[in-house]
Amino acid sequence: MVFNSYTFIVFFIIILILHNLPLPWKTKKINLLLGSYVFYAAWNPPFILLLWLSTLVDFFVGRALYTQENKHKKKLLLVLSLIGNLGMLCFFKYGGFILENFVHLVNILGMDYHPAKPNIILPAGISFYTFTTLCYTIDMYKRKSKPVKSILDFSLFVTFFPHLVAGPIVRPPQLVPQFETPRKANQQQMMQGLLLVTLGLFMKVVLADSMLSASATTVFHATQSLSTLDAWMGVFAFSGQIFFDFAGYSTCAVGVALCLGFVLPHNFLYPYAAIGFSDFWRRWHITLSAWLRDYLYIPLGGNRKGKIRTYINIMITMLLGGLWHGANWTFVVWGALHGAYLWGEKIIQGYSKITPVPIASVPSGEIGVLGVIPKEFKAKTLRNFMLAMVTFFFINVTWVFFRSPDFTSAWRLLTSMFSHVPKGAVLLSTLSIIKITVIIIALVIFHWMMRNTRVLIVAEKMPWWLLGLVWSVMLLMLILSQESSSSFIYFQF
Amino acid sequence: MQRSSLLKAGLLVLIVTVLSITGWEIYLRTHSVGVSYDDGGSLWSDKRAQVYEPADKATVFIGSSRNKYDLDIATWQALTGDHAIQLAIEGASPLPILDDLANDKNFKGKLVVDVTEGLFFSTAGDNLSEPNTRIDYYKKLTPAQRFSLGVDRVLESQLVFLDKSNFSLNAMLDKLLIPNRPGVFTPRIFPMEFGRVTFERQDFMTKRFVADTNLQNEVKSIWYFYSQLPSDPPASGSKLDSIINSVKTDVDKIKTRGGQVLFVRTPSSGTYLQAEIKGFPRAQYWERLLSTTNCPGIHFADYPAIDHFQCPEFSHLKPADAIVFTKNLVEILQKEKGWSFPHQTANN
Repeated sequence: MVFNSYTFIVFFIIILILHNLPLPWKTKKINLLLGSYVFYAAWNPPFILLLWLSTLVDFFVGRALYTQENKHKKKLLLVLSLIGNLGMLCFFKYGGFILENFVHLVNILGMDYHPAKPNIILPAGISFYTFTTLCYTIDMYKRKSKPVKSILDFSLFVTFFPHLVAGPIVRPPQLVPQFETPRKANQQQMMQGLLLVTLGLFMKVVLADSMLSASATTVFHATQSLSTLDAWMGVFAFSGQIFFDFAGYSTCAVGVALCLGFVLPHNFLYPYAAIGFSDFWRRWHITLSAWLRDYLYIPLGGNRKGKIRTYINIMITMLLGGLWHGANWTFVVWGALHGAYLWGEKIIQGYSKITPVPIASVPSGEIGVLGVIPKEFKAKTLRNFMLAMVTFFFINVTWVFFRSPDFTSAWRLLTSMFSHVPKGAVLLSTLSIIKITVIIIALVIFHWMMRNTRVLIVAEKMPWWLLGLVWSVMLLMLILSQESSSSFIYFQF
Repeated sequence: MQRSSLLKAGLLVLIVTVLSITGWEIYLRTHSVGVSYDDGGSLWSDKRAQVYEPADKATVFIGSSRNKYDLDIATWQALTGDHAIQLAIEGASPLPILDDLANDKNFKGKLVVDVTEGLFFSTAGDNLSEPNTRIDYYKKLTPAQRFSLGVDRVLESQLVFLDKSNFSLNAMLDKLLIPNRPGVFTPRIFPMEFGRVTFERQDFMTKRFVADTNLQNEVKSIWYFYSQLPSDPPASGSKLDSIINSVKTDVDKIKTRGGQVLFVRTPSSGTYLQAEIKGFPRAQYWERLLSTTNCPGIHFADYPAIDHFQCPEFSHLKPADAIVFTKNLVEILQKEKGWSFPHQTANN
């Protein structure tokens, strides 16, 4: 089920009541686990079997990996786990894509091969829970942390409904210890959680679905060249939609968990105020970029094997990061563009006197794929704002490939954006243009003002009546928008 | 922030929200606005799932908006004891739904297909996209969405402001009617009084609409606006052959399984009817459809009891006429077309 549905409201009320009854902690954990399975099965019940399989295999393989002393057997176990997890992901997510490209290749080689198109349904959130379980088995292999003692805690770690289908991607040390002792939200956590849930739903339902999605769809589904204004407005609309959709989900997830007394890592830190592209990845989908850094970029050698290898590692990381988002070459190009941006940034940094600051001074405490932020970029100066806008401009260009169904559409849109198209189609209404302009300007200003802080910190500083009024406006707009329970974009990843 | 401050903010939210929503609801009710359901993918899917009811207990209706206005479901059910399952979609061709039902081996029931020629004999993408979207929605319907519809039904039956077509944020912003740049297509907004929707997916005009010729003229001007848009000429030649042959293929599939299919040409009037007669001569379209598919048909113009309706905006029946039309439809079906309704009671 999705957070923005009546079903979830009913489900969440039941879970909250059960979690606050005077029951033993183990019973409460079983309630949460069963609730999480219901949450997942509400999409497509048979896929719950995959989740169980993944949980069972990784629990036992993880334990064996930790205790196994024989190096060969240990490697074999790791390979088995990787094949199990990635094999499942490859089949469901990339099966059609691999077959399509294989057919294309053999046809080029002159073979007449045309198999039936596979009809594979993608299980919701498979990319997310696969990464969650993968990091556990890899950590066990490296003995980075101790194995989870009980299957109940491990199952709950994998399946805990707030993060299950679209992250944040949690690591065992972030969540498992929270299951070991009884937890219940205090009054402050409950109110903070409800505030975050309202904010997240407001972002998703009001801003992404109600205000921006139709314009983005109109422009990206256009089959003709557009006027420059329409092309840019469509790209800005998607830029806002993808942020509000995904950050909205993550904010809801953090809020829902907080209402139950659990703390999940934040996933977004005002990415459209990023200065440079490594800063962007510190702020966008933080738990994925940290995962890619720790389980892909660093194992590839990171920046420890010379400049050339560093550049290669960056590109591999971004290409695979792109492919993670979807089985289409457009996502690979999206990743490649980010990789190229990071190369450019690294080259510029090599010639400048900018020095990175230590990790500890980064306000979020998290870093992205490429490490730390230069100290100079922390100040809110006009120069930095202009740099943030340049970054925002380049990020918008990447979204063209992310959202376009194919390269023809992407190229047509880019042409419309960067050149004058005689008789380019005008599609967007004045009202749509007003909505996009107001929301995107407000979004950028808000991100700039908030770039070194967090929403709950700001909320704490506000007078109660002002917070109450702002919160009320969000809730009222949420109720009045009456958007049906559409899926979150990231569910398809 | 102190605990009490967050709590105070939360309480303020509760008070402001409850007062605002209550005020809005009272305001709408004092302006004589009634309940209307969101006729989106969920509600359509709910009805689509009912087509497997036994053939002697239910009839499925497909078509476009005329079927939704002209069939009075309460009258139909009272007269026949039969459950009316309304799957028609406004402004859309029924052919994708016919095809969907024909390819569903579990559908073996009675089917009434409304023929609005401009939509039925058309392959324009705009006329096919919405039915295909609904079918896709139904096929991917999750248990969570089914449950949400149940909650939705309870809320929408009680709260007037939960009318997405008229009182959602976007609907209210659209009513600002901000002028567009030249070349931008501006869809026309129908007056709220023209289309209210029941949970059974029956559309009806409000009493105010039936009485107010200004509102009726507003809708007539919308029909005129759409009629002036560039569009393909009525299907003919191989295109028409292809449409009718595909209908025959689908109808045959249903009949082979024991199902019954009947076509209905629902009433229209005024200049709208004249344009339809001119654009789609009866012999070339309606008669050919019946003869090719070998299905029975009911054309409103053939029956004195239902050939005289004056549609308020040329295209749909007002609620009182819908009752008369439905009564006559049932009578014709029984007496002339040999349909029986085993669950009809003496009271029917």
